Amino acid sequence: MTDIKTWARVKSPWVLHFNSGACNGCDIEIVALLTPKYDVERFGVKLEPSPRHADVLLVTGCVTQQCAERLKSIYDQMPQPKFVVAIGACACSGGVFEGNYNVVGGVDKVIPVTAYIPGCPPRPEAMLDGVVKLLNALNPPKAKKQPKPAKEPEVAKPEVVVAHAAQPVVEEVKPIAKQ
Amino acid sequence: MIDFTLIFRILVFPGFTFILLLTLFCDWMERKIEARLQNRVGPMVAGPGGILQPLADFIKLLTKEDITPREAKKTVFKFAPLVAFTIMVFAFCFIPVDGASVLSVNGFSGDLIVILAFATIANFLLFLAGWASCNPYGTIGSARVLTQFLGYDIPLFLIALTPAFIAGSLSIATIASSQVIPFILLAPWAFVLFIITMQAELEKDPFDVPHAESELVGGLETEYTGAKLAFLHLTRDVQVVFGSALVVELFLGGPYGPVFFGASWFWYTLWFVLKLLVVVTITEYITCVFARFRIDQVLSGNWRILLPAALLSLMLTVALVTWVYPLVV
Ligand code: SF4
Repeated sequence: MTDIKTWARVKSPWVLHFNSGACNGCDIEIVALLTPKYDVERFGVKLEPSPRHADVLLVTGCVTQQCAERLKSIYDQMPQPKFVVAIGACACSGGVFEGNYNVVGGVDKVIPVTAYIPGCPPRPEAMLDGVVKLLNALNPPKAKKQPKPAKEPEVAKPEVVVAHAAQPVVEEVKPIAKQ
Repeated sequence: MIDFTLIFRILVFPGFTFILLLTLFCDWMERKIEARLQNRVGPMVAGPGGILQPLADFIKLLTKEDITPREAKKTVFKFAPLVAFTIMVFAFCFIPVDGASVLSVNGFSGDLIVILAFATIANFLLFLAGWASCNPYGTIGSARVLTQFLGYDIPLFLIALTPAFIAGSLSIATIASSQVIPFILLAPWAFVLFIITMQAELEKDPFDVPHAESELVGGLETEYTGAKLAFLHLTRDVQVVFGSALVVELFLGGPYGPVFFGASWFWYTLWFVLKLLVVVTITEYITCVFARFRIDQVLSGNWRILLPAALLSLMLTVALVTWVYPLVV
């Protein structure tokens, strides 16, 4: 029974996108994630309009003082079990806006964050990788059978690799207490 | 003495389980077609080709926390989605799938009117569901549902009468079985009109104003979570399958087709499902290629164009049935 539950949760993460004060760079990359090229619907990811429907909250940008309250209330409106992914350097720590007079800081100052995806902005691949790691953390690998790594078709590979471009790395996915 | 055949027919085939599986399959089909038309691949990780994706969504929603907002009208909020789902499944039970419907072998005269009425009641319950959530977006969404389906029900009923006139009966089983030549060939204009009206009735593009995401967040579903949301989604999907099944029965010759060998019910079911999938493909194609109308355009399109067209189609049919078809059939 728990297996079926976990399976269903891993296969159908519905996301809600919230901009808590980003420069829109990260948001454009999130939208790129939904375009035919990356097509996250492969993994069952759907962009939901209402926080009531969502499982994963994608937060972009540093949290401004005005947005902190709203972010909190959006988070409270989501049904359990819920996860928060902080996307972009700003969402992780405040980034370039850290220390500004109207900025609270990273998302984790306001709500608990499950996964951090740094980058300014992170590439869609990095976001995909982060989401997949988050899902795999939900579904801890069995002793023998590793959970299938998400297939990434050829198109998802970056086409232009700029020399010295720092490859975005998903730094850490905090282990989550199994629901 | 309990009639086990009847229980089997109601619970397994062609009753509840069959309808549920067909609905989930059609949902997957729709998502795949939509994805392919948008140059994507669509769900593909859950099960082979992503075929278990609707099931995964459904189970996940069932296991999520179920929130009832403080402001909502609790009873209606909780029960409307479930009752709507039940009514849709009950309406589906009147549709002959394997040559006979679930409830009785031949239906009764007039069951066409009954199932159309059931579809209307289910729509009304969806409206109530949104209204009871007492969320501004939910109430606007459900008010739009109400205006839209009140308008489009009239042409839908009128156009559904066309096959009934040709067959000379109001019973779905009789209409389906009297189609030696499928009615889509005898009355193609009615088929086109019916598909358009159904598109509006099912709130799909270009008529999906009641849950226009860019204006209304989630429309009437905005406040719904967990199991209730699961049943709302399921009701919508059953509605889609039900509408397509209605098209199959009224215009495409119902479940009847050539029987090659073995049991006829198997072939009838096969033909039924194949025809159903064709209709689902057509409606999904329309959904993908059109953009959304505004609500005022939707309404004036109904009263100015579709209603007169439906009346004209009815008059034409009556004339043809009286003078022309006796020569053909
Ligand atoms: S991380 Fe970079 S791209 Fe993203 S919101 Fe901050 S400044 Fe903009």
